[in-house]
Amino acid sequence: MSAPRLQFADVRRHFGRLSVLQGVSGTVDPGEMMLVTGPNGSGKSTLLRCLAGLLATDGGTIAYQENGTPLDAAERRRRVGVVAPDLAFYAELTVEENLAFFAKLRRVSPARGLDVLGRLALPLDRLAGNLSSGMRQRLRWGFALLHSARLLLLDEPFQNFDAAGERIARELLDEHLAAGGLAVVANPSSLDFQHVATHLDLGR
Amino acid sequence: MKTFLAWLLWLWLALVIVGAFFYAPVAEHFRVPGSSRIVFFHVPMAWTSFLAFIAAAVWSVMYLVRRNPRHDRSAGVAIQIGLLFGVLATVTGAVWAKIEWGAWWNWDPRQTSILASLLFYAAYLALRQSVEEPEKRARLAAAYALLGLVVTPFLFWIVPRITFSLHPDPVVNSSGKVEMDPRIQHVLYASGLGFAALFFWIHNLQCRLEALVERRAALKE
Amino acid sequence: MFVKEWRCEYRTRYALNTLALFAFTTLVVVSFSLGPLGVDRSHGTAVLPVLLWIILLFSVAAGLPRTFVQEEETQTAMALRLSATPSALFCGKLLYNLTLVFALEVLVTPFYLMMTSLEVASPWLFAAVLAAGGYGLAAGSTLVAAIIAQARSKGTLFSVLSFPILLPLLVLAVELTRGATAGDPGGVAVPVLLLYDATITVAGLMLFPAVWNP
Repeated sequence: MSAPRLQFADVRRHFGRLSVLQGVSGTVDPGEMMLVTGPNGSGKSTLLRCLAGLLATDGGTIAYQENGTPLDAAERRRRVGVVAPDLAFYAELTVEENLAFFAKLRRVSPARGLDVLGRLALPLDRLAGNLSSGMRQRLRWGFALLHSARLLLLDEPFQNFDAAGERIARELLDEHLAAGGLAVVANPSSLDFQHVATHLDLGR
Repeated sequence: MKTFLAWLLWLWLALVIVGAFFYAPVAEHFRVPGSSRIVFFHVPMAWTSFLAFIAAAVWSVMYLVRRNPRHDRSAGVAIQIGLLFGVLATVTGAVWAKIEWGAWWNWDPRQTSILASLLFYAAYLALRQSVEEPEKRARLAAAYALLGLVVTPFLFWIVPRITFSLHPDPVVNSSGKVEMDPRIQHVLYASGLGFAALFFWIHNLQCRLEALVERRAALKE
Repeated sequence: MFVKEWRCEYRTRYALNTLALFAFTTLVVVSFSLGPLGVDRSHGTAVLPVLLWIILLFSVAAGLPRTFVQEEETQTAMALRLSATPSALFCGKLLYNLTLVFALEVLVTPFYLMMTSLEVASPWLFAAVLAAGGYGLAAGSTLVAAIIAQARSKGTLFSVLSFPILLPLLVLAVELTRGATAGDPGGVAVPVLLLYDATITVAGLMLFPAVWNP
């Protein structure tokens, strides 16, 4: 069982003249969850994207390791599990086909993802383009957990969920943390979490 | 120190100009011998244009390896100046062509090559214009510059084979085949050096200018 | 990688249709200019190979960039970035673009030959040039498409960026095509064309990660 650890220090990012992240730091140890809060525009999504390796930083360091071996940005990008509002899938393929495709790309079996979607009660033969927003969110969770990621980066993870969906998603998150995984959660719809180890508030 | 070098550069170029008109003899076998003096400016401009491309390619590689924004800026400026010198070389070349061979444009290998490279520079600059985010712009531009670099040898290979040459090859490429008056060589190479130095000087100025503009924009926030 | 290509085939309907439509329209226009509007036959043989490649080039510019642009537009690019290795992605897209180009060539060339009554003296060489040249078109366009997908004004920018890169390819292809129709063996230009294809592929593979990932 790998022991992942995430550390980031003095992360900075600006867009043109707008300085969105001005030196953000933090550490997440195995089994821990970091909660990132702040008003709109305070850089929560930006931070998560930088941590995922989807966005380059203008300064600072991000260090992620599994089992003691540090992973570079490219490897980190493929290792993390991401849920984000702008994560989209191929509308012309069914849910199952989407999952199978990404599973093949990652060289894993789609079983885990299908399992998750089963728990979230998502019909597998529906075209991804025909999903409601709540169901799309369930697909995102399936995608994020597909490859047994050790680090979950969740941006508005319960967005569009009904009560049942949110409950199951919280279970999934708890199971992940219990198994020693890491999670960084931004913009939660409610601040009611159990094992928040660190609370990072980007509010000004 | 910098001012001293700048003055030295100007002095050097002034000497080149003087040398071009007074020291070097006229190349006799041209139709209008006096026009041969254009070689001291036209050829080094072309050389400098290609130098700019090589420099930009080097800086592009450095950027991709180190991700230092300064290298990206250097590459971009180099191509800008390369375009400038390239246009000047093409224009002077066309003027000379008109005088010497009667037509502005002849599709001979050199003219064709430089036209192709001008297209490339312009394309590169268009790409830079189309991307807002500095980091993305740097990445994409560097990749494109290197793609261009890789393709250029093919251009050099094919062009001579499909066009015939009006260019005074033996004279300009004094590969020892045909005698070129040593004094012409002196001024030519001196001019080449001068133009190369001019390139780096303009490049330095322009880079600093762009850096200042960027800093001012950032400070305004 | 093949998986990627296959999946894209699902949506081939749109891509192939656009491509084919564009190609045929251009073809008809070209044929008109040569036929009814009357170009002398003797001039024809020199010009015809060029026109074929122009049709192919413009069709490619019209249809190929979609592969990357669409990923960005439908925002599926994020999922791809998180899942695929750059080389797998590039190869997959390249394969897909290759099949598009080859399909295009197979569709267009016979009609072109018919409508212009162009006779091909060395059919093997002709086919080989189409294959090698088509490959170069696809490979070069794939990388450029990846570049412009992240920029603005994608349509025009693609043509602007790809032409300088594809220029050597076009020249080689046209020369060899001309040779194929006239019957001369093409000589040393063929290996150079193949070398170009190889170079562009390697360059694409090496530069793609920088283009695709931040």
